[in-house]
Amino acid sequence: MVPIAYYLVLSALLFSIGAGAFLIKRNIITVFMSIELMLNAVNLSFVAFAYQWHAIRGQIFVFFVMVVAAAEAAVGLAIIIAVYRTRNTLNVDQIDLMKL
Amino acid sequence: MNGMLHLWLIALFPLAGFAINGMIGRRMPRAAVSAIALLATFVPLALVTNIALHFSQLTLPYVEKFATPWIQTSAFHAEFAFSLDQLTLIMLGVVTGVGFLIHVYSVSYMADEDGYWRFFAYLNLFMFFMSVLVLAENFLLMFVGWEGVGLASYLLIGFYYTRKSAADAGKKAFIVNRIGDFGFLLAMFLLVAHFRSLSFASVFSQISSHPEWQGGFLTAIALFLVLGAAGKSAQIPLYVWLPDAMEGPTPVSALIHEATMVTAGIYMIVRVHMIFDRSPLALSVVAIIGAATALFAATIGVVQTDIKRVLAYSTVSQLGYMFLGCGVAAYSATIFHLVTHAFFKGLLFLAAGSVIHALGGEQDLRQMGGLRRATPITFWTMTAGVFAIAGFFPFAGFFSKDAILHEAFRSPNGGFLLWFIGIFTAFLTSFYMFRLWYLAFFGRSRAVAHTSSQAHAHAPHESSWVMLAPLVILALLSVVGGWMGWPEALRGSDWFGHFLAPALNNAAPSLNSAQGEGASGFILSQRVVVETSPHLERVLSGLAVLIAALGWFAADTFYRRSPELPIRLATAFSGPRSILVNKYWIDEIYHAVIVRPLLLTSRFVLGGAVEGAVVQGSGRAFSGAANGLGAVLRRIQSGNIRSYAGWLAFGAAAMLLLSYFGFGTGTVSNWGTHFKIW
Amino acid sequence: MTGTSYRELLLLALPQTVVVLAGLIALALDLSLFRNSTNRVRFSAGAAIACAGSLAAGCCILLSQTHGAIQTFQNGMLLSNPLTHLIQIALLLLAVLTILLSIDSTFTDHIGEYILLILLATAGMMFLVSTEDLLLIFVSLELLSLCLYVLTGFNKHSVHSAEAALKYFLFGGMSAAFLLFGFSYLYGLSGSTNLVRIAAATEGSVMDPLLMVAIVMTVTGFGFKVAAVPFHLWSPDAYEGAPAPAAAFIASASKVASFFIFAQVMVLGFAGTAGNAGWNVRAPGWAPLVAVVAALSLVLGNVAALAQKSVKRLLAYSAIAHAGYMLLAIVSHTQQSIAALLYYVLTYALTTIGAFGVVAVVEHQTGGDKLSDFAGLSRRAPLPSMCMLVFLLSLAGIPPLAGFFGKFYLFSAALAGTTASLSLLWLVILAVAMSAVSLYYYLQVLKRIYVEQPPADAAPIQISILSQIVLCLIAAIIILLGCAPNLLLRLIQNALNAIIA
Repeated sequence: MVPIAYYLVLSALLFSIGAGAFLIKRNIITVFMSIELMLNAVNLSFVAFAYQWHAIRGQIFVFFVMVVAAAEAAVGLAIIIAVYRTRNTLNVDQIDLMKL
Repeated sequence: MNGMLHLWLIALFPLAGFAINGMIGRRMPRAAVSAIALLATFVPLALVTNIALHFSQLTLPYVEKFATPWIQTSAFHAEFAFSLDQLTLIMLGVVTGVGFLIHVYSVSYMADEDGYWRFFAYLNLFMFFMSVLVLAENFLLMFVGWEGVGLASYLLIGFYYTRKSAADAGKKAFIVNRIGDFGFLLAMFLLVAHFRSLSFASVFSQISSHPEWQGGFLTAIALFLVLGAAGKSAQIPLYVWLPDAMEGPTPVSALIHEATMVTAGIYMIVRVHMIFDRSPLALSVVAIIGAATALFAATIGVVQTDIKRVLAYSTVSQLGYMFLGCGVAAYSATIFHLVTHAFFKGLLFLAAGSVIHALGGEQDLRQMGGLRRATPITFWTMTAGVFAIAGFFPFAGFFSKDAILHEAFRSPNGGFLLWFIGIFTAFLTSFYMFRLWYLAFFGRSRAVAHTSSQAHAHAPHESSWVMLAPLVILALLSVVGGWMGWPEALRGSDWFGHFLAPALNNAAPSLNSAQGEGASGFILSQRVVVETSPHLERVLSGLAVLIAALGWFAADTFYRRSPELPIRLATAFSGPRSILVNKYWIDEIYHAVIVRPLLLTSRFVLGGAVEGAVVQGSGRAFSGAANGLGAVLRRIQSGNIRSYAGWLAFGAAAMLLLSYFGFGTGTVSNWGTHFKIW
Repeated sequence: MTGTSYRELLLLALPQTVVVLAGLIALALDLSLFRNSTNRVRFSAGAAIACAGSLAAGCCILLSQTHGAIQTFQNGMLLSNPLTHLIQIALLLLAVLTILLSIDSTFTDHIGEYILLILLATAGMMFLVSTEDLLLIFVSLELLSLCLYVLTGFNKHSVHSAEAALKYFLFGGMSAAFLLFGFSYLYGLSGSTNLVRIAAATEGSVMDPLLMVAIVMTVTGFGFKVAAVPFHLWSPDAYEGAPAPAAAFIASASKVASFFIFAQVMVLGFAGTAGNAGWNVRAPGWAPLVAVVAALSLVLGNVAALAQKSVKRLLAYSAIAHAGYMLLAIVSHTQQSIAALLYYVLTYALTTIGAFGVVAVVEHQTGGDKLSDFAGLSRRAPLPSMCMLVFLLSLAGIPPLAGFFGKFYLFSAALAGTTASLSLLWLVILAVAMSAVSLYYYLQVLKRIYVEQPPADAAPIQISILSQIVLCLIAAIIILLGCAPNLLLRLIQNALNAIIA
């Protein structure tokens, strides 16, 4: 059996990659994809834990997370389109009209 | 008389006056506005008089509360309750009495101003809050009144809001007061934590049933309360708002900034004196602050040229006396001085207002002179006030100041140094008050005919009887008001002291006894405690009168007989003199040390030095720093989502590190145990 | 496993269902019947339907209170007890107030969608406060957040609105991922998604690294929602860019729900691992972390607000500062302090809606929300100015307004609840000092309103009767709650006692 630690490490790694991509990438769509990557990393850890506890609840959670992620994608893309229409750019560094 | 005194009516009438004048006063004729305002202050005065007449029939302590509790929680509960005892009655007498007189005065003084209705609405609002403060039965209700008088003061100082200096002065007053309130609030929280109650009766009974509670947390509570009182009563270091508060109309200065609001701090200390009695350290702090402020303000007052500023610094100085009185546990003497001070300082301010009115708005002493003949009644009433504040026998100030100085001399918490500072300040007080007297009323008129827009472009004239009547009444009080506290040493009966004693009778005996029991003052008690004796009191009183006469003599020399002397001295001592004229540059210091750094930090924080780009790389930040702060701010300043995310990740990482390594034990070694389970 | 009674579920979720239905009906009618009417008529009709729906939902809540005080579905998945009823009714009230205050606005033509989004967000919040299960917390939190993202970007004519929505969305998505990560570890440690079971399973093992990660991630996720430092960076932009009524909603209702669930998760879910944040008894756990976050929020929120020129941004930084005060109550997690937290957040939400309502009026008239746009407001619109005076003084904590008692009660509870050595005194002193600082920037706004002259070319401000009534009503409630705080306090305490007993 694959020890659970491996799954957790993989999940953490994916999560970090996602977070890192969020911080580094300049294209809004890519940044958005990195959020999806983070959510899916969490999905992985949920499934791993569900397997460990021999319970199904974790896997149900995963379904819900996927649904929510899809909804978020819809909303997010709509917002990105709104931004694109007004600023004509997909470069996240250029969306900085409001400064502190 | 029946049991219910309906104390709440004393507060209700001014509130109603505020509501009516505030809402429809704009459209009413001036006579109606003033009638409502006067009624709203006269009825409370009548009620207080009635209570005073029947006072001996009351059972004390008298408490009146609303049926439903105000705040009821398991941590504490507070009631909407008013209470009455001798101390409250005296304060109410001052507030309603002097308040009413000043309302009458204002009817004439403010007759030509815009916003007449606003003035009286705010003044009534102030009376409401002050009544609540004095009548409150618990700390929380007192705090409501405390904040409220601050708010009313802000509104009234900034009454001429079109003038930037007035608006700034109002803001300064409110903010400095707030710093003091910070202390009051912390004290209240500590009270809740220790006593589970905020009601005076409950707190005091708990303290008196635990005679072993000394110092410690009681000192902490007392010191925070001192901070609050220092803010409200304009002591070092929070006095800076009071001189600027002179931007408000003169009746406001008279009522709020000498008779009532500023005395709220003193009242509060006397009210909770039981806490202070258990903490010699706090008492010493109070005494030192009081003495220092008295001296400090008097030195500044000597060189002021604006008549109202002289009186303002004089007020700060006299409040210092009252603080000193509290610090030596001479509470009765302090309240006595509070009352007489309300009389003669109120008189002085109103008379100053009369002078200003007579000269068509002139406030500079150097432009006055020779008013003795032009405004005789103002002159004679002001003379009474000047003699009273200087402390000449048998005027009011003599008895009250003397009582404080006597206590300062012989109390174990006092000492020769404090007494000496007090007596020297008395000399200065006498000096600058007589200086004011001579400059304003004697000599040739230096008034320049100015083409101001004021209506009084003709020769100085006496004010109307509406303004003069309060002056005369206050002058009479300044002469005879002290007689109620005629000390026994001088063959009097000290009615005042005996009247107030039951309200203060839980003063810890250790501090006023001749022995002093070692639990005495912090720094100043190295000397042997002096036994009290009538002989000593007479000697000290005589000394005080002598000093006052010296001050008069000095002022006479400088300002009447040899007017060139001050000018020669000014040029000779121009250095020290400029320190005084610039008020020791305290305002500038505060601005540089506190205000500007706060605003700068704000811009710095916003400018993104903190928000700076974790992702954008520190390289850019460092190169930007070379071009000066502004360039750095512009470069780092980002509305950038990536830097936001960087801060989020950084925050999470920091918290993780903090929780792993911030508590000392090695968590990291537990990794193994965890995975062993699975 | 017990069978699922859908009837029982429907009864428990009836208020939320009614709210959603009302929203859908509003949308349907707006798209069909009122297609060609003016915006005002459409808004009024939609608002009427929304109010009717909220009223109906409120009645359902009150009726269920008589049926059985405490009910639970699927062991904590969905709750119904006096506390949730109280909060849900408050949320409905806040939603209604927001809709009423946005009737005059002209930033959008999509009125049916706007109302639907507000009502969906409200339904999300109502679910959020009535659950003890991680799954439903996450789903309803996302429902709320998605609606708020869209509401932020609702003004299609404004560049700032789209940008604000993007920032809010991206940042919110990341925080949701962090929160979910924490939830997954909680699930892993306990095998259950129920807060109470999680607490039982994790008790005493506070130094477990997985648990630590879970705590930190959870605090991060919720910290974003309540705009605490250093997770606050979205809020000034979101408040500034969003149309004023949407900002009002974000600032008020979403704060109420977020703080409630934050407190619930911390106090219930991490019950055994709290640790201590006192200056002399520091013990590891989540309390010191939240204390640090609170202290940072207090300082940054107040200091940064001092230099703001835009009133909406100023309110955003003040919201961060107020989050600091409220986190203080969570740090000292006693029953008293939770009661204080609820009182504070409810009165704060009311005050904020009122303040943003006034900002909306000014924005409508002058197109901007800079301090200079408020100059001389007292002469141009005396009634809203008076209301703004009440709101800002309440936020500053001046007695006898509700804000003062909220703060007073919160600080007293924080000090009284801890051990005899007053270990949280450092945080309370910081909080009181910062609240003294806060007075300065509130006075700045008031000075503009009352002291400065209006610009010479200023047109008189038009404000509808309804908005004036709503603003005055809110101001009256603030004054009333200030003079008689027991009115609300008693309700909160009874509700808390009912669920703890």
